[in-house]
Amino acid sequence: MARRRHRLTRRELGAAALAFVCGVSERASAFGEEGAFNPRLLITGTRELERRRRSAPGRWALEVVRRTSAPARLSPSTVRADAPELFAEPFAVWAGAKAPEPLTQREVTGLRRFLALGGILFVDDLEPSDGSFVKGAKEQIARVLPDGSPIAIGEDNVVFRSFYLLRKATGRVQKESKLEAIVRGGMAQVLFSSNDLLGALARDPGGVHPFEPSPGGEAQREQAIRLAVNLAMFVLCSNYKDDQVHAPFLMRRRGSEAP
Amino acid sequence: MNESWAFSGDLARGWLWVGLALAVASVVLLAVELFVRRTTEKPSLTVGATGLLAVVLLMLAVLRPVRVFERASTVGARLVVLADASRSIDLPADGNERRRAVANRALGALRQRFSGVRVRQFGFGRGEPLPFDGKDVPSQPLLGSDLSAALEGLAQGTDELPQAVVVVSDGRLDRPQAVALEAALHTALGRLDVPVHTVSLARAEPRDAAIRAVRLAGSVVAHQAARLEVEVGCSGGLSCGEVAVTAKELHLDEPPVVHASGVVRVADGLGTAALELTLDRAGRRILEVSLASPEGDAIPENNRRFVTVDVARDRVRLLHVAGRPSYDVRSLRTWLKSDASVDVVAFFILRTRTDDVVALQEELALIPFPVDELFTKHLQSFDAVVLQDFDAEPYGLSIHLRRLAAYVRQGGGLIMVGGPNAFVSGNYAQTPLADVLPVSLRGITSEQAVDPASFVPAFTRAGHRAPVLEPMSTIVGERWPEVQGTNVVGDAREGATVLLEHPSRRTPSGAPMPVLALGEYGSGRTIALTTDGSHLLQFSPFASESGGRAHGAFWDAMLGWLMRDPRFEPASVMLPQGCIAGTPTTLTLRARFAEDGAEADVDIQRLGSGEQVKHVRVAFPRGDAPAPVDVGVLEAGGYSATVRLSGSGRTAPSRHDFACEAGGEEWADPRPDPARLAAIAKATGGVAVTADDVASLPLPRATRVVAERRIEAWVPPWVWTALAAFAMGAHWLARRRSGLA
Repeated sequence: MARRRHRLTRRELGAAALAFVCGVSERASAFGEEGAFNPRLLITGTRELERRRRSAPGRWALEVVRRTSAPARLSPSTVRADAPELFAEPFAVWAGAKAPEPLTQREVTGLRRFLALGGILFVDDLEPSDGSFVKGAKEQIARVLPDGSPIAIGEDNVVFRSFYLLRKATGRVQKESKLEAIVRGGMAQVLFSSNDLLGALARDPGGVHPFEPSPGGEAQREQAIRLAVNLAMFVLCSNYKDDQVHAPFLMRRRGSEAP
Repeated sequence: MNESWAFSGDLARGWLWVGLALAVASVVLLAVELFVRRTTEKPSLTVGATGLLAVVLLMLAVLRPVRVFERASTVGARLVVLADASRSIDLPADGNERRRAVANRALGALRQRFSGVRVRQFGFGRGEPLPFDGKDVPSQPLLGSDLSAALEGLAQGTDELPQAVVVVSDGRLDRPQAVALEAALHTALGRLDVPVHTVSLARAEPRDAAIRAVRLAGSVVAHQAARLEVEVGCSGGLSCGEVAVTAKELHLDEPPVVHASGVVRVADGLGTAALELTLDRAGRRILEVSLASPEGDAIPENNRRFVTVDVARDRVRLLHVAGRPSYDVRSLRTWLKSDASVDVVAFFILRTRTDDVVALQEELALIPFPVDELFTKHLQSFDAVVLQDFDAEPYGLSIHLRRLAAYVRQGGGLIMVGGPNAFVSGNYAQTPLADVLPVSLRGITSEQAVDPASFVPAFTRAGHRAPVLEPMSTIVGERWPEVQGTNVVGDAREGATVLLEHPSRRTPSGAPMPVLALGEYGSGRTIALTTDGSHLLQFSPFASESGGRAHGAFWDAMLGWLMRDPRFEPASVMLPQGCIAGTPTTLTLRARFAEDGAEADVDIQRLGSGEQVKHVRVAFPRGDAPAPVDVGVLEAGGYSATVRLSGSGRTAPSRHDFACEAGGEEWADPRPDPARLAAIAKATGGVAVTADDVASLPLPRATRVVAERRIEAWVPPWVWTALAAFAMGAHWLARRRSGLA
C-alpha cells in the first residue's frame, strides 16, 4: 500500500528531538551510556573543529536515538589521538577543513592501536571544494596503516543499507556519490567522506542550521542524516545487514525502488 | 636319589664337538699311517693300541666325566581353563538350564578329570583374562568375549606356560572370527604352542527375535539426516515375518522423542531396515532402538538396545537476538562472525514502535522480526540462543517462552546477556524462562530491576578454579574491567555455579549478587551475565593492554561450555567396564584442578523420568589418580551422571550420559556357536567336547621337577691328565721301537 511521504519541518524536528531527549536520557541513565553510540571528535595536533559544526556530533547522536532503537550519547565527547581514552570506544570522527598537521609518532601509535582493536574512524572533509583535508588525512592514515589503501564504496556496501536503503553518499555538498574506505578483514575500518557530512548535521541551539545543503536543500540534508544514521548502525551492528537472512528482503526492496 | 653320569659342565658344547673331532681325526690319521706302512713292514699292534689309548685318555682329560646324583619328582602338567565370563553365558542353554549353570558343571567335571593336573582358572571377557579361584564362573559378567585377547595374555604373561588350554564357552566370541580363524589363533598364541581344547556350553538355538546390530553409517552430525541400520535376527524356528522397529532419543526428564520407525522383513532368519533420523543436539545422546516382540520370543531383553551416539557438530548454529544495537552487541557479533565454527543467525531490533524513522517503509533496510517463525519452526535447529538485552514483551517473545524453556530442557543452550531490557526489565520474571535461568528473578520489582552504579565484578572461589574462565584469565589475569550498571537478580539456583559476583550488592538471602552464573536445566545449559559490559574486554583501555583478546577467549569458553566442550568440563566421567543392567556398575571420575582433599557429588538420574537413582559423595585420591564411584546396580535404560566438584567453591557441573543394557552386544545374537569352538580345537591340535563329555579330554603329560642335584667327579681331573700323559709317552716309545718318527 502506497504511503504519502512525510517530510518533517525544522520545527517538528525540534519538538521530536526534545521529546526523545527526555525519553532517552531516562533509559540511558538506567544502565549507563557505556555501550551507546558516541560520535567522538578526534583531535590531532592543535586544530579543533570550527565552532559552527561543534553541534553536529550531538545532532548525529540525537538522530540515532530518535530514529532507531540504538542508544547514543547526546553530548558526545572529544578525544585526542594520543590519549588512552581513544581506546574507550570503537568510534571516532576526524574532521577538518584544511590539510591536517602531520601526526606525531604518539598519535600514529595511538591510532594504530585503535584500529588494531577494531575501531572505526570516519574522516569528513569540511571543505570539499578544497579537498585538502581528505587528501592530507589519507597521507597520515597511510602512516598508520601502511598496507591499507582506500577504495570507493557505494550502494553495494553494507554501510548503505545498515538502516536506510541509500543509493549515494551525501552531505552539505554533493561532491562524491560514494564514500571511500580502507577495508580490513572484509570490513570498512576507515571511511572517508568528501561531502562535509558534519556540516549538514550541524544545528545551533535555536534549531537553526548554519549551513544550507547544496544543491538539494533540505531533502539533501535528510539524505545526509540518513547516511549518518547508517554509519552509526554500521558501527553498532557491523555487517549485520550482510547476513543472508536479510538478502531476499533487501533485494526485493532495492528492486521495487524507483531508479 | 637317582644316579647318572655326564661330562663336566664347564666346557661349552661347541668346544666339546671340536675336541671330539680332533680325537677322531687323530685316530684316523694313525690308522692311515699304519695302513700305508703295511706294504713295507708288518703293522705294529702296540703302536695302534697305545695311540688309541692316548687319544681316549686325552679326551677324558678334556671332558672329565662326572657322576650326577638327583632327587626328582613328577608333578601334574599345568593346564589353564579359560571360562567365558561374558554376559552371554546368562542366556539359555539346551533344555531348561542357563549356560552359566552348564559352565559351572563343566568346571566341576574338569577339576575331576584333571585332578592330578595343576589347573589354573581364568575368566575371559575383553582384554587380559582374570584369574578366579572359586568353583563357579564369577557372577559379575565381563564386557565382551575376546578369546584371542585372553590367549595373547596367557602367551605373553610371565607365569609358567601351560601344557594345554581348555576353553569353556558357548562359542559366541568376538575374536577369533570364523574367517581366517587359524591364522588369528596362531597370532594370538605366539610362543604358546599348545593344544586348545574346547567345551561347548550349548548347541540348540533359542526361539528368539533380537536386534542383532544397530549401525550408524558414518559419523552423526547435528541437524543432518543420519542413516540408522537396524538388523533383526530370528532363531530357533521362531516365525518373525515383518517386525516393527522404532528409534527414540532419551532426554533427562522428558518423554522419549521418536525419531524414526520402520518395518524389518525377516527372511532366512535375518532382516535389515534403514531408518533416517536427524538429531538436533550435539554431544553424547542415548538412543533406544526397540522391536515389537513376536509371540513366543524366549529372550525379550534383546528386543531393546540402548545406543550411545556421539553427535558431532559441523558448526555451532546459534541464534543471536539483541533488543537494541550497542557496542556490546557489536563486540559479540563481531566475535561470533569471526569464528568459523559458529553459524550465527542474528536478529537485532533496530527500530522500536516509538522510533520515528522519517521515511517510508520501502526506504528502510529493515525486515520484520520473525519471532513466531524463529521460536516455533526453527528453534530446534539451533544449538544455542543468545538473548542480549532483549525485552520479551513488545516483540512477541513472551508467548514462546514456554517453548524456549522446553527447548533448553531438551538440550538446547541459552545465554541471557544483561542490559536495560534483560532479566526482570525484559519481562522474564514469573515466566517459564525464569525457571530455566541459573539465577532467581523472584521478588524483584521493575523499579529495583537495574542498578546503575559502576562496579568491578569479582571472581568467586569457583571462578578462580573454573576451566571456563581459564582462557580469559591467562590473558588478563583474574580481573574484569569496571562496568556501568547491572541487572538485579536474586540468588543462584540450586545447582548453579556463580563465577563472577557483585562486590557490594547482596541478594535477599544476603549472598553476593551473581553477575555471571552457569546452570543446567534438564538436558540443556544456561548462562546468565547480568552486565552489558563484556565488550570492554574487547575495546577499552583495559582491553588495549592485551590487544582485546580476552573478549574472544571469554566468549569462546562460554560457548564451549554451553556446548559441553570437554576443555571446559571440570570433571570427566568414564565407564571402563561399561554398564550391565542388574550388576554393579563403577564409574571412574577424573577432575581438572581438583585440590587435595577435593570431593565430588555424583548424581545418577534416569533419563526419561529424571528420577534420581543414586547420590554418591566421593573424595579424590592424591595426585592425578581417578576416583572410582560405585553407583550400584542399575536397571536397563539411559542414565545421566552429573558431577559437581566441591571443596573450595562449587564448580559448574559436568554431565555424562550413558546407557545400561540388559544383555547388550552379548545378547544380540543368542545362538551358540559350537562349530567355531570345534574349529579352534582343530586348528590347535585340541579336542572339542560338550560339557557332558569333559572326561574324554586328553591328559597332558606330567612334568618332572628336580628337587636336589649333586655332581661328583669320578676321579680327580689331574688323574685323567696324568694317565693321558703316560699313554702318550707309551705311544711315543712304541713308535720309536717300530721305527716310526
